[in-house]
Amino acid sequence: MNIRNIKLPLSPEDAESLKLGEIVSVSGMIFTGRSRFHIRAIENDIYPTINYHDINCFFHVGPVMKKENDDWEVVSIEPTSSIRFERYGADVVRKFKLRTLIGKTTMGPRTAAALKEVGGVYLSKIGVCGNQLKAQVSKVHEVYFLDELGKTEATWVMEVENFGPFFVAIDAHGNNYFENLDQSASNKLPEIEAALGIPAGYDFTIVNGSTENA
Amino acid sequence: MITQNVVENIMFEAMRLAATQMPPDVRSALESAVDEESEEIAKAHLVSCLKNAELSESGKGLVCGDTGFPLYFVKIGTNVNIEGGVPAIYRAAQAATRRATAEAYLRPTMVDPISRANPGDNIGPGMPKVEIIFTDTPCGLDIIAAPKGGGSEIFGTFYRMLFPSDGLAGIKKFVIECIKDSCYAGKICPPAIVGVGIGGTADLCMKLAKEAALLRPVGTVNSDPRMAELERELHDAARQLGIGPMGSRGINCVMGLHIAGAVTHTAALPVAFNAQCLIGRRWRSIIDESGEVIFSGDVSGWKEF
Repeated sequence: MNIRNIKLPLSPEDAESLKLGEIVSVSGMIFTGRSRFHIRAIENDIYPTINYHDINCFFHVGPVMKKENDDWEVVSIEPTSSIRFERYGADVVRKFKLRTLIGKTTMGPRTAAALKEVGGVYLSKIGVCGNQLKAQVSKVHEVYFLDELGKTEATWVMEVENFGPFFVAIDAHGNNYFENLDQSASNKLPEIEAALGIPAGYDFTIVNGSTENA
Repeated sequence: MITQNVVENIMFEAMRLAATQMPPDVRSALESAVDEESEEIAKAHLVSCLKNAELSESGKGLVCGDTGFPLYFVKIGTNVNIEGGVPAIYRAAQAATRRATAEAYLRPTMVDPISRANPGDNIGPGMPKVEIIFTDTPCGLDIIAAPKGGGSEIFGTFYRMLFPSDGLAGIKKFVIECIKDSCYAGKICPPAIVGVGIGGTADLCMKLAKEAALLRPVGTVNSDPRMAELERELHDAARQLGIGPMGSRGINCVMGLHIAGAVTHTAALPVAFNAQCLIGRRWRSIIDESGEVIFSGDVSGWKEF
C-alpha cells in the first residue's frame, strides 16, 4: 500500500493536490472532539483555547484513556462516525478555519462546501485501527474540559507521527468518495428488488394520510 | 451454590475477553472476505481490522475503541443456585461493568440522555442491560457479554409495522433498503452481521433481530427452511449492491444475515432490523454445578435459531 505522509497543519498546496481515495498519513499536532465539542462551540461559544492556526487538524474520536503515574496513556483511539456532526460541521470548519478533519464515515454536503471554502479535506479511517493509531501518538500534550465532559468527550491535544493510514473521502474541491458509490447502489436497487420478486412500483401500505412519503 | 462474587468475576472476565478478542467465527468470515475483495481500499479495511484484533489479543489495546453499550445475556439452567437468588446477577453485572470500565476494558460511554452527564462508570438506569432467561435443561449459568458498538446500534436499528397485504415483498424491500442505507459510508461498520426479526410485538420483534445478530454463530443456517431461504436470498441481494467493507467499493457489506421469527397478530407483519459490526464482539462464560468455568468465543447453542 502506497501511503503519502502529510505534514500538519496541512498546506494549501497539499490540500489542493490530494485526490479522492488517496491513502495518506499525517504528522504534527491534532486535537480531538465529538458531539459536545460541536454543540458547545456553535451554540454556546465555548471551546478549548488552543491555537487553531497551528493545531488545525480536528480528529473525531473519543479515545480510551488511562492514567498511569500522572501520565495519560492512550489505550485505544478509534475514529468515530463524523456524519452525525453534520448539523454543526460546516460552522465548526468555518469558525476555526479547519483544513483537516479525520474521522469515520464522511461528512455531508454542507461540510463539504465549507471545506471547499477554506481549502480543506476530510480523511476517513481504514478498517478498525485504534490500536495501530495509538502507537503513532508520540505525546499527549493537554486535555480540556476533562472534569466537565469526561474522558470520552473531552478535547485532547496530541502530537502524532505518520498517523494513519486514512483515505481522502472529501477533497478540497468538495467531492465526496461515497456519493458516487451511493448513487451507483441506488441505480442498481430496482434490478436487485426485481430479482427478489418485488413488483415494479411496489410500496408499503400507507396508513398515515397523504403526507407520508410525500 | 454460586456466590455473587463468582458471578461478578466471570461476567467481568467475559466482558474483558469480548473487548479484547475477536470471536473465531467472525475472524474466519473476515479472512474469507479479504480473499474475495479485489479493490485496494476494501482489502485494506479488512486487513486493518484483523491486525487491530491481533494487537488487542496480545495485550495492546481493544478490538475496537468504541466499547459501546454493555449488554449481558444470561441463561439459567435447572442446576443453578445463586447466593442471594437471581437478583444477585443484576448486582454482579453492575460490579463487573464498573470494574471493566475502571480497568479501561470499557470506555466510559453511557451518559444521561437529556443532560448528557457521564458518570464515568457505564452504570445508570437500564445499563448494564441484563437479559435473563430460564431453561429446563441443566446447562449451568451460561452468560454472554456483548459490548455492542455504537455504529452498528445507532445507524443499524430500524423497525416497521408492515401489514399482511405487504407480504414477503415488503419484508424484502425493508431489509435490502435498510442494508443500503445503513452501510452508506461504513456507518454500521460492514461487513455487518444483519439480524432481522419478523413477527411478535414491536419490542419482541426488535429483541429477535438483536439476538439473531449477536447470539447466532456466523455461517450457520436457520433451522426453519423458509427462513433459511429468505436469508440466502437477501444475503445474495446485498452482495449485488456494490458496497463492500466499511462502505467502500466492494462486495462484502454483509457477513451474515440471520432471521428470527415469532407468531404475531393476524392484522400485523412487524419487521425489525438490527446490525452487529464487523468485529462481532461477544464472549461467553459458562459455570457448571461443580464450579468449573469455561470461557469461549463460540456462542452456538445459547439459543436455537
